[in-house]
Amino acid sequence: MKITVDHGLCDGLGQCALVAPEVFALDDEERLVVAPEAARGSAGKVAAAARACPVRAISVEGS
Amino acid sequence: MREVVVVGAGLAGVRAGESLRAQGFAGRLTVVSDERELPYDRPPLTKQLLSGTMTEADVRLAGAEDLGARWVRGTAAVGLDRERRRVRLADGAELPYDGVVLAPGAKARAWSGAVPRAGVLTVRGLDDVRRLRAEVDGGAREVVIVGAGFVGVELASSLSGLGVRVTLVEPFGRPLRALGGTVSGVVAEAAGRAGVVLRLGTGVRGFRDDGGRVVAVELVDGSVLPTPLVVVAIGMVPATDWLAESGLALPSGRIHCDERLFARSGGGSGAPDPRVVVAGDAACCDAVRAADGPVALEHWSNAAAQGELAARNLLAGPAAAEPYDHVPSFWTTAFGLRIKSVGLPGTGDRTVAEAGDPAGGAVLEAHYRDGRLVGAVSVEQGRLLSAYARRLRGERMIASGTEPSGT
Repeated sequence: MKITVDHGLCDGLGQCALVAPEVFALDDEERLVVAPEAARGSAGKVAAAARACPVRAISVEGS
Repeated sequence: MREVVVVGAGLAGVRAGESLRAQGFAGRLTVVSDERELPYDRPPLTKQLLSGTMTEADVRLAGAEDLGARWVRGTAAVGLDRERRRVRLADGAELPYDGVVLAPGAKARAWSGAVPRAGVLTVRGLDDVRRLRAEVDGGAREVVIVGAGFVGVELASSLSGLGVRVTLVEPFGRPLRALGGTVSGVVAEAAGRAGVVLRLGTGVRGFRDDGGRVVAVELVDGSVLPTPLVVVAIGMVPATDWLAESGLALPSGRIHCDERLFARSGGGSGAPDPRVVVAGDAACCDAVRAADGPVALEHWSNAAAQGELAARNLLAGPAAAEPYDHVPSFWTTAFGLRIKSVGLPGTGDRTVAEAGDPAGGAVLEAHYRDGRLVGAVSVEQGRLLSAYARRLRGERMIASGTEPSGT
């Protein structure tokens, strides 16, 4: 699975971090950090996190 | 199921359409909207679009054009005949359905008294923002905003950023009071620093006009605020008048649905209709509850998640449908502050500031009821919220009798 975040679009709203906190998190400055290695075996949750993004900054390829 | 009608082309309706197609629904899909606009996203309207950092093209909902749907735009649905399975439209047409998604959204609540013909606006849709922006571009340098809820505060922030002198009137005493005292205080302080004049704890008595155009707002405390422009931002009303004869349960005008988003019948039986599902601002879902009953949510994430599940459940049928399992979440920005929440803040009986430094404009405030976490609000502490969301999920599983699995 390949997770791509468009940081130009990402606003740090953090909706993805509520859906799949093991993969997506906000840092102290409320910027998004991604742990793609943690996504193995949770394709469904990552896809749901991408759909939860209000600015569609997350794209996922493969599973 | 061969014919599905979606009423409403906002986020909930569009997500429902996408979800139907993603589930392999190949039948006829019709989306009905009383607006002529292409589907658009609402959160940027009062912020980026009004401020001018986003264009109208930027706020369109991507993907709507790929639904393979028949669009009925600019024509309101005026009735739902569940016996004959028809949606009636304002132009007299009837759309037959095997299943219908009700996602009609809401309208801005209008001022209950008389208002001047010109210069008093409400803001809910794209067209409202165009009108407001035209007033500012046309020379309005002052505005009185009535109501300091989310819309009022976002407008105050955007308009003051455009150089407009803003007075924000809030009879209930605090901006964003639903979010709790500490957060309210941080927002009030930031608004003050931005030059917004706060008139808290006093309501509006009426409006003065000159030749039909507003010239001043009269407050209950006797003061008069001269202004060429007023925005009334006192909440929203679900757009459900057209369902009055549908036989559906409509508590406080919202469409009552069971935990799986099937609309409940009125008249005491409460039986869910397997062909009618509900999503978005107009819904009142049994799966979203505070201690004293279901709570309506008017948030982006709720509209997205309900639209998606409602469509899936409609196709699956009640026996195979899944319950709505969503931790409510909300975000906004105002006066440079990033404000976010999870759960149902405002339904608690006690708040505790658990992180941050309110004096420095940052706080994480948790909301408890009977000692249990019911929600949390962050100002500039957003990294902490997912842990609270996880705790809320755990609380809910305990409340429903299933132990959290830890996954």
